[in-house]
Amino acid sequence: MQSLLLGISVVLVLVILFMIFKLTTLIGVAKGSKSDEDAGSNKVNAGLMLAFLIVSGIATVWSSVAWFKDYHIPIASEHGEVTDQLFWITMVITGIAFVITQILLFYFAFRYRHSKKSVAKYYPDNSKLELLWTTVPAIVLTILILYGLKVWNNVMGPAPEDAEVIEVMGAQFAWRFRYPGEDNELGRYDYRKIDGSNEFGMDLSDKNSFDDFNANELHLPKGKPVLLKIRARDVLHSVFLPQFRLKMDAVPGMPTQFWFVPTKTTAEMRQETNNPDFNYELACTEICGKGHFSMKKIVVVDEPADYEAWKKQQKTWLSLNPDYLSQVPEDLKEMAMISANIEDNESKDSSL
Amino acid sequence: MVTDINIAGAPKKQLSINPKRFILWLFMVSIVMVFASLTSGFIVRQSEGNWLNYELPSQLLISTIILVLSSVSVQWAVSAAKKKELSKTRFGLSITLLLGTIFLISQVWVWSILVQEQVYFVGNPGGSFLYVLMGVHAFHLISGLIYLLIMLVRTFKEDKASKLQFQLGMSATYWHFLDGLWIYLYVFLIIYH
Amino acid sequence: MSTAHIELTDVMHDDHGHHDQSFISKYIFSTDHKTIAKQFLISGIFWALIGGILSLIFRLQLGFPNMDMSWLQPFLGHWINVDPTSGVGKLDTEFYLALVTMHGTIMVFFVLTAGLSGTFSNFLIPLQIGARDMASGFMNMLSYWFFFASSVIMFSSMFISTGPAAGGWVIYPPLSALPQAISGSGLGMTLWLASMALFIVSTLLGGINYIATVINLRTDGMSFSKLPLTIWAFFLTAVIGLLSFPVLLSAALLLILDRSFGTSFYLSEIYIGGEALPNLGGSPILYQHLFWFLGHPEVYIVLLPSLGITSEIISTNSRKPIFGYRAMIGSMMGIAVLSFVVWAHHMFVSGLNPFVGSIFVLLTLIIAVPSAIKAFNYITTLWKGNIVFTPAMLFSIGLVSFFIAGGITGIFLGNAALDIQLHDTYFVVAHFHLVMGSAAFFGMVAGVYHWFPKMFGRMMDRKLGYIHFWVSFIGIYSVFFPMHYIGIAGFPRRYYSFTNFDAFSSFTDLNAFISIAAGVTFLAQLLFVFNFFYSMFKGKRATANPWKSNTLEWTTPINPGHGNWPGPIPKVYRWPYDYSKPPTEEYWEKMTEEEKENWPDFIPQTVPYSETPESNLPHEQELAEKEKKEDKGIEIE
Repeated sequence: MQSLLLGISVVLVLVILFMIFKLTTLIGVAKGSKSDEDAGSNKVNAGLMLAFLIVSGIATVWSSVAWFKDYHIPIASEHGEVTDQLFWITMVITGIAFVITQILLFYFAFRYRHSKKSVAKYYPDNSKLELLWTTVPAIVLTILILYGLKVWNNVMGPAPEDAEVIEVMGAQFAWRFRYPGEDNELGRYDYRKIDGSNEFGMDLSDKNSFDDFNANELHLPKGKPVLLKIRARDVLHSVFLPQFRLKMDAVPGMPTQFWFVPTKTTAEMRQETNNPDFNYELACTEICGKGHFSMKKIVVVDEPADYEAWKKQQKTWLSLNPDYLSQVPEDLKEMAMISANIEDNESKDSSL
Repeated sequence: MVTDINIAGAPKKQLSINPKRFILWLFMVSIVMVFASLTSGFIVRQSEGNWLNYELPSQLLISTIILVLSSVSVQWAVSAAKKKELSKTRFGLSITLLLGTIFLISQVWVWSILVQEQVYFVGNPGGSFLYVLMGVHAFHLISGLIYLLIMLVRTFKEDKASKLQFQLGMSATYWHFLDGLWIYLYVFLIIYH
Repeated sequence: MSTAHIELTDVMHDDHGHHDQSFISKYIFSTDHKTIAKQFLISGIFWALIGGILSLIFRLQLGFPNMDMSWLQPFLGHWINVDPTSGVGKLDTEFYLALVTMHGTIMVFFVLTAGLSGTFSNFLIPLQIGARDMASGFMNMLSYWFFFASSVIMFSSMFISTGPAAGGWVIYPPLSALPQAISGSGLGMTLWLASMALFIVSTLLGGINYIATVINLRTDGMSFSKLPLTIWAFFLTAVIGLLSFPVLLSAALLLILDRSFGTSFYLSEIYIGGEALPNLGGSPILYQHLFWFLGHPEVYIVLLPSLGITSEIISTNSRKPIFGYRAMIGSMMGIAVLSFVVWAHHMFVSGLNPFVGSIFVLLTLIIAVPSAIKAFNYITTLWKGNIVFTPAMLFSIGLVSFFIAGGITGIFLGNAALDIQLHDTYFVVAHFHLVMGSAAFFGMVAGVYHWFPKMFGRMMDRKLGYIHFWVSFIGIYSVFFPMHYIGIAGFPRRYYSFTNFDAFSSFTDLNAFISIAAGVTFLAQLLFVFNFFYSMFKGKRATANPWKSNTLEWTTPINPGHGNWPGPIPKVYRWPYDYSKPPTEEYWEKMTEEEKENWPDFIPQTVPYSETPESNLPHEQELAEKEKKEDKGIEIE
């Protein structure tokens, strides 16, 4: 591919040089007669218009075919199928408009180049024509709007009740994930409680937080709705999961969310793409500082059973940070020990 | 003064409004947009919740009355100028300047009351917005005071009466505008505070 | 009425009384609109070169991520991190963001707003409407010097040790509010805000002047229905600017208060640098609303003047009236109005209420209709024309091509459901660089080629102009067309490198190609700069009306002095697009062959209908009768 591109670059430069040469000779021949000079270069420019149309047309078709595999990235979510369909429908409609208008533009430029013999047509107005190209785009756009809004409202609609809730938090320059644990409910947080260990600022007076656990990779179950609760700790970030056609800003002080259904496990995707090293990735798409380009996390989609098993293996945050038990209100301590799955020996030690 | 340019060929006026006066109006439009954006920002932010509610100090009414009175006095000065009664014009302008200054002092007084009521500039945006709206208005009012002060100085110079009248009319328009702007803000605050 | 009239004459006296001008009042603190226009133009060219160089540096990084950049160290100093063992230099990741930010700020505001509107509104409004100067020459001068001060501050911000603003040209808080988050948000951001505040003042002073001039100082007969489309475009641009720039001022004011005085308009619940900030209750989304309320109209502030310029150039050089003059005005008005109600399409995935989002989908896609009308009208103007390819004409055709190519991708981005995937990817970069960046830039360049003879009394070199066009045109498409592919694949913008991600690491070859194309395109611009300054002194002397154009500016002397017309300002009788107006059939039959051959293909605006009975349409014949009566009336007086 690289040599091909280099080739194109070289051809480009050559074309330019040729043009310069061509113009110079023409002008050299016609020196002395001003109108001829203009007529000569006018023809060259008109010819170049046509040449540009043909060459760039070929280049467009060729490049869109040659790179199709690169830019058409596989879809791994339910709504992604729908939005991609809308994308390609829009592509066809606008593509037709694009091709027609560009052909007309350059063809007219070539066809109606100046000649002494011809006279331009005095044609200042035609209300029928203008009405035509007001209404046709209006109708086509109305269709696109209605279709687009239907898709948009479905995608942005309320998440199903049984959705897996996962919290994604952006911070300079890493993503952090918090799972709600067995109760499927995330505990409250307060940004003033954030510190080196309590990165989410979990409020341990809320009993829902006892069984929450953090993870370094985003694990998702295939075929189940997942609701991402998105927040940011310092500046704006944006959650971007390209294969899932998902993007939502993370805003400090204003939690956002996005729900979707993953449709292909990582293993399935590795097969589909013929790439044994394939991994889903989470990227940041809102400028957030010098590490913006490196805010990457691996996303793993598991079969539901594997997902449940993975969740079981995870240790609750409280059990990994037992010091924070002191923040738990006295009357909830016992409950905290149980839901956080903390071995009792520690408290025995302290009671001794 | 000019010989080589034929003034008779100057363009026919398309509007009966003087260009300079028209420029003043456009300038006021841009000020309106500043306040329109601030007040709509106020509403947008308020609708998001977590908003500090407080009582609007009743002293604002006093400020408002003072400013309305100053509009009356500046208008009186303008009409005196039309009758070529320069001493009355000077008196009217001085009264306006005085009332304008009292208004500013009164606004600072309102701020001190707000601070006593624990509504701070630094804190919940509900409070900050109030200070910003009043502050930006006060900033423009100071520019209006300077304009009037220049007019007052001009009345002592041997200027052409017609020119003075015109300039005075412009400064009065600006002053009325600032007055109207304040009334808008006052009503806005009563409704949305 | 009478006082106003006296005042008007006074204005004229004040502005034109001083003819023994010193160098300073003639070239530096000049109140002449033509000189101010040239000042804006040359400042704009300076900024365009700076902006272009910045983009070349980050294109080097993107196209050749493994390149040793230590050779840039003499220029960039500590922004190149040289590895002590290997000696390989790397661009600082934060400086990369600063480059992107400054490139955007400079191009959008300093080149395509000040450089474009500042140049052509100033230069053409008085000349094309038949006025001696702007409504207030003094304000006009202030407008330039505020811009100059703003430029000096912005320029100096690039040389401070913490670097210039680096949070993107949209300067979203909290990033732009917190120096802890990025060092560019320290002094660099303060200077950015100070510079922009002055810039806004400059734009308002200029815009107020443009509006007042167009409304008040049109010459006799120059009704709104006879205004050239250039003036319509500049007028609407100024109106948009007047209504939107104050909003940016408010947004910036609140940001300044948050940054320096501890308020919480945009900041809430932030934990950074190991501490929780006290700010509570602010909303970053509020800033985005305020910013984009300016930011989106700003797109049209950039684009409309170029559309006006090209309407004029395409009509003149096709030797045909612009097709659908009224539809062109109507669509520009439509665009101007709609530009204020589409801003939230920049915020579909910012956490905006999805219902609000759907309203903005509707409004955004409606704006495609007037844009489509404009594109079709341009093409129809070319149809059956007699096209003269001057460099200005080539650039205008290029603009139409970019306008279509970039406009069409807007239909994707305006549809919220598609924006989910495409938002903040290279697809957006490709979209706005074509439709607003390159299209507006081409309009500006076309304008320079077209009005250079009026500005400097000399012609720019045609041959260099052709080369400039073809290299730029092919170059720009080579740069931005492939970016669509990269964007559809999901590459995020403002990334220092893509190698961290498997998903984004394809396309390395394409990125290299884009960078090479960008370099070639930039070199072509140097050709233009050379042509510009060389022709200013050594160019072929211009004739009075080199493009055989109808508009008023060509009725002035080749080098118009202060006041533009030495005698009375000409009266206007007809619209500016009477190109190739044929004789009536009745007359055609009576004409000799020689007369047919020498039939003029343009009738300037100053020619009364009573002088062209051969070509008058029926309703124009009535006007001609009226003119005759009026002329008699004047004689009797």
